[in-house]
Amino acid sequence: MNKLQFYSLMFMPYPFIPPAEELPSTWVNLPNSYYDPKIGHRLYSEYLELNVLTEKLGYDGVLVNEHHQTAYGTMPSPNIMASNIVARTDRIRVGVIGNALPLHGNPMRVAEEIAMLDVISGGRIISGFVRGTGNEYHSYGIDPSTSRDRFWEAHDLIIKSWTEPGPFAWEGKYFNLPYVNPWPRPLQEPHPPIWLPGFASLETIDEAAKRRYTFMQVFSPRAVLKKALDTYRRLAEEKYGYEAKRDQLGAAIVIYVAETDEQAHREARPHVQWLFREGLKHPPYFAIPPGYQSKQSFKNFLGTIIEKGIPDIYDLTYDFLIEHGYAIVGSPDTVIEQLTKLTDELGTGVVTGAGGQWGAMPHWMAIKNMTLMAEEVMPHFRDSDGKPMWAKEERLGKHTLTEHAATVGKPAIAPSIPWDNGARVDPRIAHLPELLDEALASGDGAAVERTPT
Amino acid sequence: MTEAATTTRPSSPYYTEPSWLRVGDLDVAYRRKGSGEAVVFLHGAGATQMWLPFYERLSESVDLIAPEHPGFGDTEFPEWLDGFDDLVLHYRDFFDLLELDRFHLVGFSLGGWIAGHLAIFYPERLKSLTLITPAGMHVPEAPMVDLFAMPPEGIPDLLFNGNFLPYTDFLPNPTILDEIVHGFGEMGTLARLIWTPRYDPKFARRLPGVRVPTLVVGAEDDRLIPNLHCDRWAEIIPGARLERIPGTGHGMIMQEPDKTAEVILGFIEGTNR
Repeated sequence: MNKLQFYSLMFMPYPFIPPAEELPSTWVNLPNSYYDPKIGHRLYSEYLELNVLTEKLGYDGVLVNEHHQTAYGTMPSPNIMASNIVARTDRIRVGVIGNALPLHGNPMRVAEEIAMLDVISGGRIISGFVRGTGNEYHSYGIDPSTSRDRFWEAHDLIIKSWTEPGPFAWEGKYFNLPYVNPWPRPLQEPHPPIWLPGFASLETIDEAAKRRYTFMQVFSPRAVLKKALDTYRRLAEEKYGYEAKRDQLGAAIVIYVAETDEQAHREARPHVQWLFREGLKHPPYFAIPPGYQSKQSFKNFLGTIIEKGIPDIYDLTYDFLIEHGYAIVGSPDTVIEQLTKLTDELGTGVVTGAGGQWGAMPHWMAIKNMTLMAEEVMPHFRDSDGKPMWAKEERLGKHTLTEHAATVGKPAIAPSIPWDNGARVDPRIAHLPELLDEALASGDGAAVERTPT
Repeated sequence: MTEAATTTRPSSPYYTEPSWLRVGDLDVAYRRKGSGEAVVFLHGAGATQMWLPFYERLSESVDLIAPEHPGFGDTEFPEWLDGFDDLVLHYRDFFDLLELDRFHLVGFSLGGWIAGHLAIFYPERLKSLTLITPAGMHVPEAPMVDLFAMPPEGIPDLLFNGNFLPYTDFLPNPTILDEIVHGFGEMGTLARLIWTPRYDPKFARRLPGVRVPTLVVGAEDDRLIPNLHCDRWAEIIPGARLERIPGTGHGMIMQEPDKTAEVILGFIEGTNR
């Protein structure tokens, strides 16, 4: 039996828009007059509720991501969403997959926010890094031809800032910082796990394999998924000399479970169609701006599309999506069977996007999907205790003050303030004359040793 | 962006083998023909790898030198190309190597933007400046159309005002993968230069200082770079004259090669008197 980790990935769509046929795009220039913040408030409330629910249901993790100016997903700042989820959960892993590094003027903002989230959450963060879709480069006015270089420079800076003592100077091509010195640092050592979600470009897979990062292939036909994950395994073995573990290889698969196959298709079909036909209507000139891919990658990509006659993503029919493994829909037995087959074929141990809301489902339907997923499907891919990953490991941040006091103990340096006669005392006892006098008299205890000058 | 330029021979009947000149670390493709006054032509963001009828007409009267910009035509994209200042220094070196001390400069569209910078930084080398429906001016009330936000098949309509069929020989063949990829590469170079901002914010302050005889050649109805841009260029460069070619759109050097060339040749001759 292939053990699988399940991560919920919901895009937080805003489905109340005109038909996509009438719109050039549901990204970049979809007029934001269609966005009603009052509706948005309700949607965020429901979506966040679903995200929080994942912990009780027993998912291994809950994922958020970054896209801009689109009805497909209303999460331009994934870190804000992660912060909300972190505050309302206790144990589950929260993955930001990811921050779109080239879009941001100063990567240290990402380094700081992820570190904050990691410390706040007690070490539960997964940090994904992405370039963002080509659409974001139109939305953010960032030159797509510098995207790949900016991505890797930002990545290198962030990792160094988390792993090497600051301050240090960063003198790069795109980023120049005299004092890189993030406060706080992440709680996880050496830093939160890194995921690289990607569209199967050879460059991304190679970089992920080199660094042993989890590579996650975003929605793709089975053949493309297979090729990407095989490439990772081959590069790991032949080029970097190790055997890739299943949990280094992720696949984003839309899953919908209902009581019967027939009912599952009835319920899922309209929302699969919304996701691909409406939410993902981004014409190639937005999705793949010039320079976003190298000429060679673009040639391979376009050549494959022409050769295989693959239609634009928003022209894919429901049957095509099901047939090519973009989505798995059915009764619990069917989903278990197909998921087993697919993940065995792919050799993946991480399934993301596994159930939840990805279209225009009523709130109850999303809960139903997730509940059936957790109750009927996920146990099949777990140890006999049914526990998610996080329930099998200690959380780094202690839950109670007593645990904290017993295991973490006191900080290495006590706070101090200057007192009479050049002594330094711990401000926490300065208001207690008995302790203060005693400390000053004895020269230790409450009185803190002066820093050598 | 670092790969060798497409090696397959383009399908256009106007394709010619370029000459090559090593400029610094870059092999530059260029075409040169004719005798008399040296005239350098800087091309726009397309119609490369060709000897255009417009070039032929000019070369009947002058010594025409038409280089391909870094990252366009057969000239590879160099890693150092970040902006127009890199092109200015690149062209200074190109002119030096060809011993073009003083010459006439003609720039079309993107080439006009580059020519504007050269006129600002090396005015003493220019006998005259001709800007054919140039890009790069900030005209907030009539911005240039966003070329990056349209399907490639929409561009010919913009260039030839809805009537592009007579001009397909000047366009990449959309059924040939290598030509699509080549176009994607050239657009990538364009993105590096003009993605943001889509104009030069310093032209308004710098161009009034240009003291070079200047002709602005506008289209009758330019649907890519609105006509107002040529008006603004002609206003801002002291003494510049504006002439429009009837019956043309942005692709005027392909639509009316003879008329456009004659207007330019007349101007160049005038500046030599």
